[in-house]
Amino acid sequence: MKGSLWLAWRQQRVPAGIGAAALVVAAAVAAYYRSGMLEALHSGLFDHCEPGPLYCTRSDTGLPLLLDVEPLKYLGALNIALPVLIGVFWGAPLLGRDRELGTHRMILSQGVSRGQWFASRFALAAMTTIAFSGLLAGVFAWWWRPAADRSYGLFWYDNTALSGSGPRVVAAALFGLAAGTLLGLLARRVLAAMVLTLLVTGAVTLLLEWTHRARLLVPPHTYVSAGITPKPPMGEKWSTGHYGLITATGRHDDVLTCPFPSGAELKQCMAAHGYVARFYEANPAGDYWTFQWTDTAVLGSLAVLLTVVTVLLLRRRV
Amino acid sequence: MTGPDASTALCATGLAFRYRRRGNWALRDCEFTVPGGRITALVGRNGAGKSTLLHLAGGLLRPTSGQLRVLGAVPGTAQARARVALLTQDKPLYPRSTVADTLLLGEKLNSTWDRPSAERIVREGDIPLHARVGELSPGRRTRVALALALGKRPELLLLDEPLADLDPVARGEIMAQLMTEVIERGMSIMLSSHVLPELEETCDWVLVLRDGRVELSEDVEELRASHAVLTGPAGQADILAGAHTVVRSRTGGRQLTALIRQRGPLRGDWHVQRPGLQDILLGYLQAGEPGHPAPAERTETAA
Repeated sequence: MKGSLWLAWRQQRVPAGIGAAALVVAAAVAAYYRSGMLEALHSGLFDHCEPGPLYCTRSDTGLPLLLDVEPLKYLGALNIALPVLIGVFWGAPLLGRDRELGTHRMILSQGVSRGQWFASRFALAAMTTIAFSGLLAGVFAWWWRPAADRSYGLFWYDNTALSGSGPRVVAAALFGLAAGTLLGLLARRVLAAMVLTLLVTGAVTLLLEWTHRARLLVPPHTYVSAGITPKPPMGEKWSTGHYGLITATGRHDDVLTCPFPSGAELKQCMAAHGYVARFYEANPAGDYWTFQWTDTAVLGSLAVLLTVVTVLLLRRRV
Repeated sequence: MTGPDASTALCATGLAFRYRRRGNWALRDCEFTVPGGRITALVGRNGAGKSTLLHLAGGLLRPTSGQLRVLGAVPGTAQARARVALLTQDKPLYPRSTVADTLLLGEKLNSTWDRPSAERIVREGDIPLHARVGELSPGRRTRVALALALGKRPELLLLDEPLADLDPVARGEIMAQLMTEVIERGMSIMLSSHVLPELEETCDWVLVLRDGRVELSEDVEELRASHAVLTGPAGQADILAGAHTVVRSRTGGRQLTALIRQRGPLRGDWHVQRPGLQDILLGYLQAGEPGHPAPAERTETAA
């Protein structure tokens, strides 16, 4: 086992080095921009801003007040792309390179068993993947916190924050690694494996983004307010954009039947149609963690499933 | 560890293998025993199953049915891996590693490693240790791969077409090296080759495969002694067929030339020649092909 771990390290130290360098760069960029962000917050410019989705404006010019969160969003995008990057450049060649060169035959003719060959290199890759993705998610969280859930910052439901932070980044990276590893075993060419991995991990990443947008796995909460009483404030909630009216029998209708924000017109219209309450659908801020753990469970089980398939195929394919 | 058949290099019983569940049999009904300390020539035409057999013995493939034992152990187990070395036909090495790194890999991946002899094999080929494997000529790469296989001090060395890339001088050197190992350490070697004259000088056991079946597994000396090339009138063909095993016969005009395995005294008017190993092997390889009838009765494989 020691020998095969030595070999695994020899073969993975280049991607590991590149990963470490990327991590250092990300941390340096984060430190630089975060300190700028803190300075802006401490200047008192934002002190009068209310929490909530509406922009707050400068008292003098009336222009919206915003923190510079663009670089933070780039880090979030990198974290979202992590399963694709790790799958393509780390997972696919993990077994695929030996398969293409035939060198697994040389390795297995030395004192190394199939199990050791796979386990040592996959374990090393998985550990480094967990470390890198965890640290990148941590860097994002540390950078994001001062600007989190502020109109001038970044709300939790922005996809760079929702998918680019937290444990789901680690699970996604592991899924990418497992998918790349399996496809490297199945395809006989590294390049083919890389292309397939790009397609598969890209598709799964986009699919999960879509489930967020469609609230498929984490259904929204319905907030009801009786009569024309003001609706509970949206605040940090993630609206589905679905507003409406409720009849006495409980039927939900679209808001467009009575498109009035408040007042006498609204009251009149509601009375005419027999509406007794208004509602809107949104995910509360606490759902950040529900989204996180759902994604982590989905991606984590996919990673485990693909790894099990890889182990089962190992005997037949190699 | 050392079972009753520990002195045998390879032993197959009912061995069969196919690559796909519904595919053709690459090997079937293979029964043979190769004693230890021999240099065995594995001979057969393309597709006869030579590489499959070597891969099975090296533990890279698993038998579909039947069993194969190397040095009394199941191929691919830790016990067998430590004592058996396999050099496959494509001689895979990491092209971007240096020769020194490749040898270091052998040292790290094996429980026993003979660094001086591995380095000596490389040095004798004038191969610089800092050269990248991918930039070496095929012959030199073969030498590095061979150093990797011999460095682990195997008790059984399996070589699939090892000499094809080597120049004549290097072939001689490598074969001499291998024979030294056999004599000094009692190592067994099984090598597949199409170069029959080369086998004549080095091998003392032959295993002939045809269409996935074992045609012959026998000591070379016995093989030479029991076979004869006969030349005589074509009319005597029937006398031969009854008494001996005709491996291969050819009729030209009124003259018959036949390679036979002698099963008793010769009767009839024959010009008898003692064939070389090459002639015998060629006879077996050609037998059963178009224009050459298969042996009248299947030769019994000597155990």
